[in-house]
Amino acid sequence: MAELGELHFSRIFDAPRELVFACMTDPEHLTHFWGPTGVTAPRDRMTVDARPGGVFATVMVNEADGAEYPTSAVFDEVRAPELLVWTESHSGMRVRSEFVALRPQRTEVRIHQTYVPEAFLAPEAQAGFLSSLDRFDAYLAGLVTRS
Amino acid sequence: MKTATADTLDAAFAALADPTRRAIVSRLARGDATVTELAAPFAISLPAVSKHLKVLERSGLISRQRDAQFRPCHLEAAALDGALDWITTNRRLWNERFDKLDVLLADLQPTRKREEGTHG
Repeated sequence: MAELGELHFSRIFDAPRELVFACMTDPEHLTHFWGPTGVTAPRDRMTVDARPGGVFATVMVNEADGAEYPTSAVFDEVRAPELLVWTESHSGMRVRSEFVALRPQRTEVRIHQTYVPEAFLAPEAQAGFLSSLDRFDAYLAGLVTRS
Repeated sequence: MKTATADTLDAAFAALADPTRRAIVSRLARGDATVTELAAPFAISLPAVSKHLKVLERSGLISRQRDAQFRPCHLEAAALDGALDWITTNRRLWNERFDKLDVLLADLQPTRKREEGTHG
């Protein structure tokens, strides 16, 4: 059963855990992937102070129209190379990232994102580009699978 | 068009936490239906279904006509989209980020050899 307002997401990478962890905490790396498709995250507008109480701030820029989405978070827990937890100040959302070494060269990243109501007010959510009932059956199937 | 607020989104998530209510919402996505029609696929009583419908109605996910004889239930797409958007938006965000991270990790390990561990 899916929990209320929570998102679990995981991906396995062919890379050692230390490197994957470094990618998630080093702006030199983050700038290459932090923005989703069609969105960049400029290196010079990124702050990553990876220690408890440290700031994690980015600006995501939509390549199509130049629209900017600043994000601002504070790290709650940092345990290299296995755990990152931050809380986003702009949305109140809490994101927990676990790095699990499956083999020396294979790492699973498990994201556990906890919903808070303000999250819905984020620009991406308001854009409405995902508004469709068509996805609902797939969504339900996903919930059932995880039940 | 109704704008979803924090409260309505909370209520929507709570309403969707129940499998019977999710099934009811799924059925209504295909068109309006009466309580009797909605109860048909389930091995539960009409009053039980009515209870679920009240929860869904309070959450704003469905509405019921007050004056029609059989009071068909109607799915409020805007309220549902609010709940779905949060999940799908964030899932897509991580998916797209990790697609890029996968490419980056390949670039960072040009001599990557599969199955070769450095530790015992």
